[in-house]
Amino acid sequence: MSRPAILVDNVSVRFRPYVDRKPTVRRSLARLRHRETTEVNALTDVSFSVTPGEAFGVIGRNGAGKSTLLRVLAGTLRPDDGKAVTNGTTSTLLQLGVGFNPELSGRRNVYLGGLAGGMRKADIESRFDDIVTYAGLEEAIERPVKTYSTGMFSRLAFSVGMALEPEILLLDEILSVGDESFRGKSMQAMRDLLDRSGTIVFVSHSLASVAQFCDRALWLEHGRVKQIGPAEEVVEAYQKAASK
Amino acid sequence: MSALLTQSRSRLARTSTYFRSLWSRREFAWYLAMGNLKARNASTALGLLWWVINPLLLGLVYYLVFGVIFESSRDLSYLLSGMFVFHFTSQAMTGGANSILQNSRLLANIKFPRLILPIANLIEAGVGFLASLVVLYAVAIPSGSADLNIHFLLILLIIPIHLFFNLGLSALTARLAVPFRDINNILPYINRLWLYLSPIIWPIEFMDRMSEPIQRVMLLNPMWSIVGVYRAALLGDPLEPGLLATSALIALGVGLFGIGTFIKYESRIVRHL
Ligand SMILES: Nc1ncnc2c1ncn2[C@@H]1O[C@H](COP(=O)(O)OP(=O)(O)OP(=O)(O)O)[C@@H](O)[C@H]1O
Ligand SMILES: [Mg+2]
Repeated sequence: MSRPAILVDNVSVRFRPYVDRKPTVRRSLARLRHRETTEVNALTDVSFSVTPGEAFGVIGRNGAGKSTLLRVLAGTLRPDDGKAVTNGTTSTLLQLGVGFNPELSGRRNVYLGGLAGGMRKADIESRFDDIVTYAGLEEAIERPVKTYSTGMFSRLAFSVGMALEPEILLLDEILSVGDESFRGKSMQAMRDLLDRSGTIVFVSHSLASVAQFCDRALWLEHGRVKQIGPAEEVVEAYQKAASK
Repeated sequence: MSALLTQSRSRLARTSTYFRSLWSRREFAWYLAMGNLKARNASTALGLLWWVINPLLLGLVYYLVFGVIFESSRDLSYLLSGMFVFHFTSQAMTGGANSILQNSRLLANIKFPRLILPIANLIEAGVGFLASLVVLYAVAIPSGSADLNIHFLLILLIIPIHLFFNLGLSALTARLAVPFRDINNILPYINRLWLYLSPIIWPIEFMDRMSEPIQRVMLLNPMWSIVGVYRAALLGDPLEPGLLATSALIALGVGLFGIGTFIKYESRIVRHL
């Protein structure tokens, strides 16, 4: 068996956000020495692995820890316990348009987004036309991105993200925008990625697309693994629990 | 003993990996800085001209107050050279703090050596600094106070020294601003105090009037040596012996300390945003 693309081993993440109570002078002074905090267990003892070529769904209620899990996979958040290993270039389409500066033109943002994602300037240059054509934004590419519609913004961001040619793609709730034709196009791009034995981790509240698109799925509840298994089964169990 | 050796070797390896990945991301730092520069003035009528107008206005305000009204510094190019050098450093500090706080989305989503952000901020402020040097010459050459001589070559030494010093301070404020946002409220006062304590808006001769212990404390001010070398380079002032070495040592210390503290802390940044 080939080595897993993603291996998550007993990962726990705890946040200690500051508590915002009514500020008094006394509390402010006390805070200088010791800040009041609560503890949020965003992830507790999460373990799983994903093989190359697999589409892996993550579902769960708001605040269940899905985005936190993706941040751990992207390597931007170091877990308190356990470890997460990824094998391959990770593209973090956690959110769309990371690194974009809305004041600047689409052209400039293609470069910014690509460089942020780890591409070299020369590579972006050579793929620039493809990126723009794929996004269907030839007309608008010199305009500031702040004048784009939400869908146009997402198309450009998605194009840039795919141009990174990732081996592991982490998607956090991003395919809900874009019109019908672009949604079809992006689904196709993701299937192509899987065929090249790339790996996709797909966080979504759209249960239908998780069931349809993913091979397996993980159901997180309060930061713990509730169920892992074939996507359709997990989605079904989750739906049953939610309707209760 | 050998455990200690292995430990320091692995630390060395980690550090060199860090700086190699930093280097491989240099185009990103550059684009980030240029993007911010462009975006900042994109919607103003005068656009990029502001890079020259800003230092000019800054210098005029200070000249009006300290040159004309208080008559504490008559020499405009003396005042401007100090002001511009100091302004670059103070921009590096305030910008460093914001470079982390304002890029939380980038930090949460993409893994990269975090020092990129203070560096990009430094590039951005550095462009402003270069523009202000142009303004300085526009003032100093016609008034005859720029004595261009062999000392000008000092600029090749002092600019890297100044940059390293600024990067250290910028990284330090960036690191501190993450858990203590209060830094942003305090920084303007620190900068103001520092300006008044530096030989910028008052002439060097003022020193003679100070008491011995105060003089000694004043000489600890890094701005003293840095501004001194700049003045020798730009205005042809005599270069006091030891000034260049002092500035280099201070910059090395501050730079290494700031960068070191920052890198040690950076894996925890995302938790606090
Ligand atoms: N930086 C942070 N500081 C403190 N608490 C945090 C931080 N980030 C996330 N949390 C907490 O961790 C928990 C999990 O958050 P997370 O964003 O992973 O949820 P999610 O499953 O992505 O939710 P959603 O479906 O709404 O996107 C939540 O309770 C959240 O409040
Ligand atoms: Mg989320």
